[in-house]
Amino acid sequence: MSLLQREREIIVHNEFTDRFDFDEVREFVAGASKNLFISHRFKTTDKMQVQPRGGFPTYDKVFKLYEEFKSAGVDILPLTIDSNTRLNDYATAKKMLALSEENDVDMLNGYPLINHGYRTTRKMITHFDTPVSLRHGTPDARLLVEIALASGIFEIEGGPITYLLPYSKNFPLDKAFLYWKYVERVCALYSELNEPINRESFGPLSATMQPPVIVLVIQLIEMLLSLEEGVKSFSVSFSQTGSMLQDIVSANVLKRLARKYADRFGHKDADIHLVYHQWMGAFPYDKSFSDALITTSTVIAAMVGADKIITKTRNEAFGIPTKEANALAVASVQYTLGMLQGLPDVGDEAEEENLANMVDEIMEAVFNDPADTLWRKVYNAIKKGHIEIPFSPHIINANEVITVRDPDGNIRLYDRGKLPISDRSFAFEKSKIRLREGERVVDKIIRDIGIML
Amino acid sequence: MKVVTGVVGNDVHVVANRLIDISLRERGFEVFNLGVNTYLEEFLDAVVETDADVLLISSLNGEAEGWCRDLAILKSRYDFGDVVFAIGGNLGVGEMNPETLVPKYRGYGFDLVFHQIDLNVGLDRLEEHLKERGK
Repeated sequence: MSLLQREREIIVHNEFTDRFDFDEVREFVAGASKNLFISHRFKTTDKMQVQPRGGFPTYDKVFKLYEEFKSAGVDILPLTIDSNTRLNDYATAKKMLALSEENDVDMLNGYPLINHGYRTTRKMITHFDTPVSLRHGTPDARLLVEIALASGIFEIEGGPITYLLPYSKNFPLDKAFLYWKYVERVCALYSELNEPINRESFGPLSATMQPPVIVLVIQLIEMLLSLEEGVKSFSVSFSQTGSMLQDIVSANVLKRLARKYADRFGHKDADIHLVYHQWMGAFPYDKSFSDALITTSTVIAAMVGADKIITKTRNEAFGIPTKEANALAVASVQYTLGMLQGLPDVGDEAEEENLANMVDEIMEAVFNDPADTLWRKVYNAIKKGHIEIPFSPHIINANEVITVRDPDGNIRLYDRGKLPISDRSFAFEKSKIRLREGERVVDKIIRDIGIML
Repeated sequence: MKVVTGVVGNDVHVVANRLIDISLRERGFEVFNLGVNTYLEEFLDAVVETDADVLLISSLNGEAEGWCRDLAILKSRYDFGDVVFAIGGNLGVGEMNPETLVPKYRGYGFDLVFHQIDLNVGLDRLEEHLKERGK
């Protein structure tokens, strides 16, 4: 028995999992309907795939949510996991699930997949015969991903950096790398049996004034960490920045560099996709403004040539949306996309060159670290502040980079902290910033965070 | 001048914490930011360790009161001299009357209490207070 298989036996053997049958699961994945694989969908259609967010505690509520989504014309279904499960607290999730089932009140902010188990959940997934994407935020997702794959959920979001730095104060980063290595390997194993399992990174990060250079570097690194374990289908992603130009520039550079780095490390056979998240920052309280924001971001997604868009709802400012509001957003995005065929290619050469240079400069600094494996190099890079994300709660994050918007709304590096980018690239960024006479940077940042309010 | 700051209790709202950090630095303070999810004991340990002049605790989720009740007890265990104890943010759950909230927090041992007060206004008042104390 391989070391990995021994670890898997240990992981699935716990009081919350009812006898995990590896042989049966392998047989299920091998014979599963192609319609469950988003990787297969990407291969067979050019249409941008529309995916909302959503998850409820009980099986019945998720079932009804999926029915609502299907009637709204959804392409990809989401399964959002509750916060207790994300922190591996399955006992609390179990208790809250029981309370939700007894009282018809939602005591969890998502679906406690471990407690429902794969035998039950698989019935729902195969019933809808539509790709499902696992949305969580879990640093140690080993058991969660085993159960998800066994359930027929063949897209797994997250990664050791993107599910740690924005979400946790002190979960050890080195452990996160090793736990995600396990996830990548299991996804790679199942990918050999049928269509590939798709892995997706979470580009929005802390969703607050994230400079594209950092988003892109982290996307490329999580892609390489995944591909080196044998994953064959990977989605890089980012969220609406607040500047249409910056979204287009980010997408053009990300697509080009993802292919470049995948090829450079010998992953020519891997399929790379682009996912666009509608605005992830604070939403307006006026629902008609939210509708306008959602429509605008759909237009941008079409302009950047995204393979998938992840939608928001007009209720965003008010909490978890109802299934009706959520489905309405799906229908509206599909309607908007119908108008956006045959768009021209747009770009900005100078902006793209500078962004690509900055990304390459950081990537080279990571590769030049003397550590022996990529994850250790990345780990060191984060410890040194060569990679950091603005507004992370994590103690390892350097918290030195400061970003502000230029007059066109582009997010610029005001202070590069310890990011290893050249003076020339940084000068380009700095040259775009205009501060009013005597204006405090912090007041500018506060205004820049709230541009959509 | 040295300031220890951070978000008290089980509160991960990091954005304002980072803005406070940046603002304090802009005003010339030396900042020791303990970040989110910080317990009262950790704050006081940090004040002792760094020989800080100011402790500025913040809270957004409204649960600060439960975490700060023991300030007077903790303060009595060590001679903090003229350290300024300040707290700001959303200091109650739901709509609270500042006229009852502020004295309550003062009673716990805070010199300055900023309930839903603009960041710059609060920091201006902190600086004035320090000047009055001759710091």
